[in-house]
Amino acid sequence: MKHKAVIIGGSAGSFQVILEILANINKDFPLPIFLSLHRLKHIRSGFLEALSLKSVLPIKEPFDKELIKSKTVYLAPANYHMYIDSGGRFSLSTEPPVNHSRPSIDLSFFSAASKYQNKLIGIILSGANKDGAEGLKQVEKFGGLTIVQDPSESQIPTMPTAALKVTNVDHTYRTKQIIDFLNSLR
Amino acid sequence: MALTRADIELFLKTLKEISTYDLSDYSENSLKRRIEKLLLDNNTNLQGLIYKISSNKQFVEKIVRDITVNTTELFRDVKTWHKIRYRILPKLAHLEKINILHAGCSSGQEVFSMLILLNELNLFDKTNVYATDLNSEMIEKSKKGLYKFRFNLNYLDNYDKVIKENPFNFDEIRDVPYENYFHIDKDLDIIKMKDFLIKKPTYAVSDLVKNENKFYKKYDLILCRNVLIYFNNDLQNRVLINFHSLLNDNGFIVVGVHERILGEAEEKFIKKSTFYIKK
Repeated sequence: MKHKAVIIGGSAGSFQVILEILANINKDFPLPIFLSLHRLKHIRSGFLEALSLKSVLPIKEPFDKELIKSKTVYLAPANYHMYIDSGGRFSLSTEPPVNHSRPSIDLSFFSAASKYQNKLIGIILSGANKDGAEGLKQVEKFGGLTIVQDPSESQIPTMPTAALKVTNVDHTYRTKQIIDFLNSLR
Repeated sequence: MALTRADIELFLKTLKEISTYDLSDYSENSLKRRIEKLLLDNNTNLQGLIYKISSNKQFVEKIVRDITVNTTELFRDVKTWHKIRYRILPKLAHLEKINILHAGCSSGQEVFSMLILLNELNLFDKTNVYATDLNSEMIEKSKKGLYKFRFNLNYLDNYDKVIKENPFNFDEIRDVPYENYFHIDKDLDIIKMKDFLIKKPTYAVSDLVKNENKFYKKYDLILCRNVLIYFNNDLQNRVLINFHSLLNDNGFIVVGVHERILGEAEEKFIKKSTFYIKK
């Protein structure tokens, strides 16, 4: 397979989309999937459990410096930034929020783009702010594949629209198309 | 501005030559981010930054302080404090003297949390509490025991959960007034620790990278939470192996909720969720 990893950023309105994707992805989907999602500060548990109930792939919050494995979904822990290191490990950080967000979608995307370059697929979903737009632009810059959730389908289109503004994306997809696309990767 | 790996290596090499600081095994992405932010805040480029650290010793101290990250709160991560209260401190209670080290104490809220808990468990007098940080300004802040209240709305909630409530029996509430340990002035927006807590700990500026032991003690419990995340895995293991040598037999290490000992140091400890026991 040409690609080595998938990274997804989402905020308000993205939870159902993520659930759909994780529930309908092929159970032998071979790549690691990184989820950098905004969450309420005080809701630390429950979110992961809700996703793992539906997910056909194992999903976990990575520990700092944990080695990245394929066929696994990784969720950025609440209140930490999640980086992908060049050596194939996660790094967590409690640096101040960026654009009021921790995890910051941009920071996760920057690090993943630098590590996987043209072998990364970056996806931006529904959300109420601009986080992720610069990150997706970076994925494009390194030759990765970029997808944005169709703003007309997004519950809150601010984030997809912001990403579309700065990136010449490869695909603007509805949820169903995102799933079909991922499942068609060879 | 986006820095390349070569840029960062040049900066680190210069810093190492002109100061005692070696950040070359810091975690790559957060380090890069911090240096980029430094350039932005100082309105300079990499060459400008390198020139300035080479010519101004005080500026070196300032930028190292700016690069390191300081995040802490009173009784941060309640579940970890439950483990300290119910699973770790009872195992140390029989000792004649207890030595506790907070490695990377930041502005000291974790130290005060420990002091409060020790007092609740009647272990205050027989415990020596030591604390280090790389950043001398943070040490000074810890010594004052004075914090903004506004940013710390979790403080009282966390205090209630660790000190007043019993997680094994929700009907039981211990009546331990806040005033026993700190004074809150909402008008001045401050929370001030009581003097008997402030006087207790011994502080020292210390750089974990150097594997030093500023107090020449051995410890029964070392807390190092959300500090090692700023180091790469090699350096993490070097620090942890040093901690191993600083611990008394059956001594404990507490790490952050999202931290685990991963690598060669693993075999030196017995893992118990977020804490470890020296093998």
